Amino acid sequence: MKLNKRSVAHYALSDAPADHTGFLRTWGGPGTPPTPSGTGRRCWFVLKGNLLFSFESPEGRAPLSLVVLEGCTVELAEAPVPEEFAFAIRFDAPGVRPHLLAADGQAAQEAWVKALSRASFGYMRLVVRELESQLQDARQSLALHRSTPWKVNASHRKPQAPDRSSPAWENGHFLPRDHSPGCFMRDVGSRPAGRDLAEWELQGPASLLLSRGQSPVSPETSCFSTLHNWYGQEIMELRQRWQQRVQGSQPEHEQQDRP
Amino acid sequence: MRYNEKELRALSRQPAEMAAELGMRGPKKGSVVKRRLVKLVVNFLFYFRTDEAEPLGALLLERCRVSQEEPSAFSISFLEDPERKYHFECCGQEQCQAWVEALRRASYEYMRKSLIFYRNEIQKMTGKDPLEQFGISEEARFQLTGTPVDGWSCIGSRLDALD
Repeated sequence: MKLNKRSVAHYALSDAPADHTGFLRTWGGPGTPPTPSGTGRRCWFVLKGNLLFSFESPEGRAPLSLVVLEGCTVELAEAPVPEEFAFAIRFDAPGVRPHLLAADGQAAQEAWVKALSRASFGYMRLVVRELESQLQDARQSLALHRSTPWKVNASHRKPQAPDRSSPAWENGHFLPRDHSPGCFMRDVGSRPAGRDLAEWELQGPASLLLSRGQSPVSPETSCFSTLHNWYGQEIMELRQRWQQRVQGSQPEHEQQDRP
Repeated sequence: MRYNEKELRALSRQPAEMAAELGMRGPKKGSVVKRRLVKLVVNFLFYFRTDEAEPLGALLLERCRVSQEEPSAFSISFLEDPERKYHFECCGQEQCQAWVEALRRASYEYMRKSLIFYRNEIQKMTGKDPLEQFGISEEARFQLTGTPVDGWSCIGSRLDALD
């Protein structure tokens, strides 16, 4: 079976955050007997997401091996020699030998077992979904408690619609300017009529969405990219206003013009 | 680099986020479009011959760029070599857009960023760290800098200041 090994190796060496690293003894690999024996081989292990890489050393420029951590459980284990700090990655797939590993001490063993147990994509997805719904709850209760708008000195604001040529906000990926249906970006082009500018800007994206009868959280994780875009725009507007303020007398003028 | 192929094959049989028969063309010059069953499972894109149960290959979707090439065609390339593209042909614009969206969100790194974003937002609004209740607030994977908690430096990672 083919795998984009070169890209995988680049990912292993990239500055994408490592979730855990350290020296471990490993059994298994080419030339080793089917039943683990002896003291094993000491390698430098790097856990990134659901991928466990091993290297010759921390300075290694090419990974020796990769273990994809899906469909597995991690548990403490007996090592072939009286090595007290062993653990095994056991796979659900039939006919697959567990990967036996051993740490240098108890603290390291526990830390590795914990880190590897939480490495699966599914676990991360669960946590993200949980936080997504918590955020929705927090925003809904905040919107409900906001009976009066939070008025702030609006004298520095220019009463004009901001430039809506939003950047292709990069989040490690390119985002298209033409957003998919269900994304609220198209609605943000015009301010809601009859609302105080300050109030609108300070309520944030979620309450704006709620006021339009839309849920800020979609069943998919597209919420994050739309919110990311929204904040990107907000920052652009803030930057614009700051620049105008810095430019001097113009805000003074606006103060007189505003009703 | 050795990898656990048996387990990866088993993963290819798991329920997929997206699966469809698409036209697929490899990155090599002169490669032709072939019909493949393409299946997205976690952060891997598997591709099969349409009549076979075992995958021909897999693409790990970390640090990849998904580009819409034409209304009903997209490509996947990787950050270290953006011109080397895997091309996919869909049967229509809607299918193409659905795949592009799904693939862009399919990486572990994307999920990590989403999580950090939500965590910060909740913290700002409620003053509480939502991960504390799970006892995982100190886990390296949920930190912005991603430096491991045990203090070891890791290959290529930013050596941001630790406490």
